[in-house]
Amino acid sequence: MSERLDSESPLTLPGFFSALADGDLLGGVCTDCGEVLIPPRPACYACGSREIEVESLAREGHVYTYTEVRTPPPAFEADAPYTVAVVELVSGGRLTGRVNAPYESVAIGDAVELQVRAPTDDELEIALSYETEWPVHVFEPL
Amino acid sequence: MHQPVIAAVGAPTVGRSDLPGRDLFSVALAEAFEELPDPAELVEAVYVGNQSETYEHQIMYGTLLAEWAGLRHVPAERVEGCAAAGALALRHAVKDVRNGEHEAVLACGVEKMSAGGTGGATDALSAAFDRALEQRSGITAPSQYALLAQRYLYETDATERDLAAIAVKNHANASKNPRAQFRDEIDIDTVLDSPSVAPPLKLFDCAPVGDGAAAVFVTTAELAADLDVTPVAVTGTGAAANNIAVAERNMTEIEGARIAATRAYEEAGIEPADVDIAEMHDAFTVCEALLSEAVGFAPKGTGYQSYHDATERDDGWTDVELSTSGGLKARGHPIGATGLLQAIEAYEQLTGGAGDRQVDGAETAFLMNEGGVADAVTVAHVLSTEVSG
Repeated sequence: MSERLDSESPLTLPGFFSALADGDLLGGVCTDCGEVLIPPRPACYACGSREIEVESLAREGHVYTYTEVRTPPPAFEADAPYTVAVVELVSGGRLTGRVNAPYESVAIGDAVELQVRAPTDDELEIALSYETEWPVHVFEPL
Repeated sequence: MHQPVIAAVGAPTVGRSDLPGRDLFSVALAEAFEELPDPAELVEAVYVGNQSETYEHQIMYGTLLAEWAGLRHVPAERVEGCAAAGALALRHAVKDVRNGEHEAVLACGVEKMSAGGTGGATDALSAAFDRALEQRSGITAPSQYALLAQRYLYETDATERDLAAIAVKNHANASKNPRAQFRDEIDIDTVLDSPSVAPPLKLFDCAPVGDGAAAVFVTTAELAADLDVTPVAVTGTGAAANNIAVAERNMTEIEGARIAATRAYEEAGIEPADVDIAEMHDAFTVCEALLSEAVGFAPKGTGYQSYHDATERDDGWTDVELSTSGGLKARGHPIGATGLLQAIEAYEQLTGGAGDRQVDGAETAFLMNEGGVADAVTVAHVLSTEVSG
């Protein structure tokens, strides 16, 4: 591990979100076992290896499971109800996020694409000082 | 190696209380030490399971509760692992006694969940999720478990009706438990007709918000004999952390629970089939199904049959009785105290003190406490009437 772990590094959250703001979804790919880590991080959770290569991932995937948030945290009350899903990317990694579609129109297996947007005013209100520039990811049905 | 035992327990009835956290603890401690010398004459260390400082704007719970127990200058600390904090506190106490570090340790837990209203609890619990991707998407505890439930229903023969039946079973058990938050029996329609929280989960699939505390006195078999109290041995303990984001884990095989349980079984020298009673972490009904499979009570895909009598479950199921306390669903789930409330139920069952819900001949108990979503952290214990040393 020779790379500096500073805010430019894709192995840190600022580095990951800065690329994501430009539409580039970075994943760490373990060179020992192939696990895909989103966001990238210094070690592979599957095998413990620290040989992680950072790659741009395709943003398409499918819905692995989903639900609708009907009792939101106080900060998200204005948005409710909203659909959330675990999406399996074609690259292999999985992550949770909102789906920009009504719950009734979503099903397991549906194709979606990850897109990003700037945080809303409500989201900025509860953002930590270092989060204000970080985009929010949303899955759009394809 | 010393044989750690639980020698005394106490807890107020779970529910919405007018008492702050420290006072709930005082009630728990007074019950636990009713037949014993004062805590100051016995207790050498304190571990406090506590989820969140946001409820009462209070950290330093180790210091505070040691002080309220009259224990000046003992080592004392808060243990955090969301809803697994209580079992983590028990595990620390058990290990201290086992390795000879201390002869008598107080494992306790406290949570004053109602202090910030339902919104406050929703917000405090969401801190258990990955901040970077999950929290910022507005995910909640019920919706996290709904993601698991949706996938479980998709992959197995289980239906929403089966999940509802798990809640019905646990409410029936809680109706016989004076420590329980809910004492009323319910039927399937109560669950199915309750408001949808995060489909497929409805309000009655979810454990309630409640206030609670628990005190469990862990010591050696020798000291328990000297004190003339009935001991229950803690013969195995196991814990395992897994990824904080549930999306990155196997969502229908709860691996962390299987590993923690296997470690506890191995220490105790038993198989899953040897367990007579088990307190399961049914924060949501689907958990009882998933965990029954993970810890070896049920074949894959059949855990949802947990509400049936042992004779009516599929082949391959053990004859274990599940969550005789009423579980988190109905006994209640004051987060940091929950793992210890599970231990209290096992202690009462194994000492024949479980009243109307007593399981005849119960000799071996298993506890499964989880924190975060599913197996973000899991803690297992095995308790036995057979006390050695």
